[in-house]
Amino acid sequence: MRGHRLIVNRLALVVWAAMLPVGAPSAQTVSPPPAGPLRPYIFPPVEEFQLANGLRVILVQKHTLPVVEGRLILDAGAMREPAAKNGLAALTGSLLSEGTGTLTGADIARAMDAFGARYFTTADFNAAYADVVALKTVFPQALALSARTVAAPSFPAGEVSRVKNQALAGYQQSHARTAGLASDAFVRAAFESTAPFSRPASGTPSTIGALTRDDVINWHRTMFAPSAATLLLVGDLSPAEARSIAQQAYGSWTATRTGQTPVENPIRASSGTRVILIDRPGSVQSSIIIGQPGFRATDPDYLNMVALNRVLGGGFNSRVNMNLREKHGYTYGAGSTLDLRPGGGAFRISSDVRTNATDSALVEAVGEYKRITSEPVPVPELQGAVNNLISAFPNAVQTVQGLAGRLQQLIVWGLPVNFYATYRERLAAVTPEDVRAAAASRLKPDNLIVVVAGDLSKIEAPIRARNLGAVEVWDPNGNKVR
Amino acid sequence: MRLRYVAVSLMFVAAGTSDGQAARRSAQSGKSPEVRIDYTKETLPNGLTVLYHVDHSTPVAAVLLWYNVGSKMEQPGKTGFAHLFEHMMFKGSKNVADGQHLALLEAAGARTGPDMSGTTSWDRTNYFEQVPSNQLELALWLESDRMGTLTEALTKEKLDNVREVVKNERRQTVDNQPYGSWLEKSEEALFPEPHPYHHSIIGSMSDLSAASLEDVRSFFKTYYAPNNAVLVVAGDIDVPQTKAMVRSYFGPIPRGPAPPRLAGTSLPATVGYENRVVVQDPLAPAPQIFVAYRVPPVKDPRAPVVRILANVIGGGNSSRLDEALVRRQQIATSVTGFNLGLADGGDMLVFFATGKAGSNPDSLERALLAELAGTSSFTQSELERARAADRFSFVDGLQTTGGFGGRADRLAEGWTFFRDPNHVNTVLRQIDRVTLDDLNALARERLVPTNRVILIYVPAKKTATQTSSTRVP
Repeated sequence: MRGHRLIVNRLALVVWAAMLPVGAPSAQTVSPPPAGPLRPYIFPPVEEFQLANGLRVILVQKHTLPVVEGRLILDAGAMREPAAKNGLAALTGSLLSEGTGTLTGADIARAMDAFGARYFTTADFNAAYADVVALKTVFPQALALSARTVAAPSFPAGEVSRVKNQALAGYQQSHARTAGLASDAFVRAAFESTAPFSRPASGTPSTIGALTRDDVINWHRTMFAPSAATLLLVGDLSPAEARSIAQQAYGSWTATRTGQTPVENPIRASSGTRVILIDRPGSVQSSIIIGQPGFRATDPDYLNMVALNRVLGGGFNSRVNMNLREKHGYTYGAGSTLDLRPGGGAFRISSDVRTNATDSALVEAVGEYKRITSEPVPVPELQGAVNNLISAFPNAVQTVQGLAGRLQQLIVWGLPVNFYATYRERLAAVTPEDVRAAAASRLKPDNLIVVVAGDLSKIEAPIRARNLGAVEVWDPNGNKVR
Repeated sequence: MRLRYVAVSLMFVAAGTSDGQAARRSAQSGKSPEVRIDYTKETLPNGLTVLYHVDHSTPVAAVLLWYNVGSKMEQPGKTGFAHLFEHMMFKGSKNVADGQHLALLEAAGARTGPDMSGTTSWDRTNYFEQVPSNQLELALWLESDRMGTLTEALTKEKLDNVREVVKNERRQTVDNQPYGSWLEKSEEALFPEPHPYHHSIIGSMSDLSAASLEDVRSFFKTYYAPNNAVLVVAGDIDVPQTKAMVRSYFGPIPRGPAPPRLAGTSLPATVGYENRVVVQDPLAPAPQIFVAYRVPPVKDPRAPVVRILANVIGGGNSSRLDEALVRRQQIATSVTGFNLGLADGGDMLVFFATGKAGSNPDSLERALLAELAGTSSFTQSELERARAADRFSFVDGLQTTGGFGGRADRLAEGWTFFRDPNHVNTVLRQIDRVTLDDLNALARERLVPTNRVILIYVPAKKTATQTSSTRVP
């Protein structure tokens, strides 16, 4: 019976407003209606069990539609590969689905397509993945085929060379875009060359070119084992169905591997802000990144950083977007990202800005980075930001893919799988003082990495004139030119 | 994939069986599952159509509006206006200050992008927000305020900002991207002037520069009236209570004049000639070939056949182009195929293949055209694979209440394009009914050289794009 009287009152207000002569200035405007009583939201229970071979299985039930996702997450991401074999984890991940037993890659693709299943295998910095989403009726068969590609891939020689060519093409396409150039340069500048995160997870042309089929076979043999993997099952399954389907698909997988030590991403020492420029002639926009390395989800002030990020650039109504887009019209959008990684990730502002405003956009973005460290965040601004994170959370997990994505983050970051049970309450407890303390201790506005990829014939001189820091010009491969 | 090109959006950003929700009855392999989206419909005295869909599985409510206006309604010299106007809808109205629409909804619990945005397509403009269900009234109030009073808060300063932002959007999505002009060039060739799909949604820089406040007012008066829109309220709602709120907020907005009828959308089945366009693209690292055909539009009964044809040839990982060009010949590093989903007169079915860096664009073009020439004798198993993919995509998209492509969006689409909100509940049956004859017949009729444009993107050393085009009858 919420608000019957409220509705009547508001009707009166709206009618009154509508009766005013069109265009006449009104002394008073109508205020937004208040929120009704909050309806409870509980993150669905996360059930966990283990197969006899050591494979950890996590089930989250969701029965609204007959859709199920099965995502295997394996600790065989690019962070574990040697520098000289950069790109090996990603290549192996892609090659899983290109042959198993007597089935060719084309056979596997046909079989998965016949199920109407979305299937892909890949690896990124954090992990290797085999992901299958399908209607419930065909899910058990699709997951079983997916498991065969994970446990017993055949890595046909022809497919190794073909997929290597695709990886090279991917690198070239990424480096044809200002955003790809800027993002590779940023991590290269921010981390020591020994840090896995200083390299692109998919490798570079020289390292990809040197990878062999033996490298792939060896990587799979030493890294792929049930003890190093988690199978997420999300969707329209009962616990009994989940156990039986998981057992059928993965029960006979027997590989073992030795334990792994935690990954470190050492930060490159620097004093003062570095400004790195990369030329891409003819660009009508520049991609800019401003940030610094060194953030983990396991940091004690993780949620304070989440709130800080939301205020600075984690939404439309955030400082950098309101400044660069809404106030100045430099861009279609600007934001910040807390890019968490095992071993330490990075915090950064990024945007694509029009060429003739590149230097001004940099000054504004660096200014916002500084302001959040020097001035306390006003209480209403922080409340709005935190409330957005808390209240929008149920929206983000309406789909099996949304749920699986959230759970995947916990697994690769090393957080407990019941993390979201109290996530909203703990975020709500973040205070302006917490954010101020996080900003003061973690952000280094005088020691930033600033990267700009664009048309240097137009932007280099204006950027130098702004004196943001020591300017270096790099080639697209990360070598200093001057 | 298919959604990538459907619309131009406000923002770039990095988505049971209780009463009325998507109820499941039975599901057998090889046949579509029983999925039903229940709704109730009412029409307010001012002509606003309202659809209510109840789903209590998550405490989330979605508000979504489709205005029956898209870039196809734009006049010459005013290209890009429907989209520019969409951006103006976020710059405040009588009771909502500039920036407050998104600020209030973000603070209430909507993420700009997946939950809340506006998008403009050729055929319609939509606005949506997905909020915790206790914030439903705020969302309704904000939508009603801008539907009723947008022009009372217009200023030149707001228009200037929006114009700059949209120009940046064009730079980011078209001008600064390798192959960024493919869609504009395909539309130009497949839909000759004066067809309304001839020009792009985002429009030309010079038309954007020329847009005036008077244009904004007149566009609002012509198209943004309750009788030219459908409102969907979906999710964790109480229908009688929601109806009362909708009537109180939207009821007082006056009906507008009937919008002008769109004329001149009908088209011959085929273009009648082949267009071949070579683009010297300084941003491209490798050659890319696009081949686009004119096909039946979304409002045609053959629309499901079009989607399945796209999938059989270039959609799935086992499509013809994947197997031939990527796996066997290895002349392409990637291929894809999809249709845009245009509503009136004709749709565009496009395939593209990317070559290796340094490879010869002519051989890639020959290989792609050779594959496309052989596409009129599909097998039953090819059809079944594509059907399974189409069926899955549809069900998968229904997982979200609101947002782009969710249940509310599907209901609004049914009303706007078919005057039938129940259209969503007929899609799976339509997919089930497609036969091999349908598929082969459509391919024979439409996948012919005189019904296509071929775009050849060649990596170029120069810093300015150059285009040459030829027409073969």
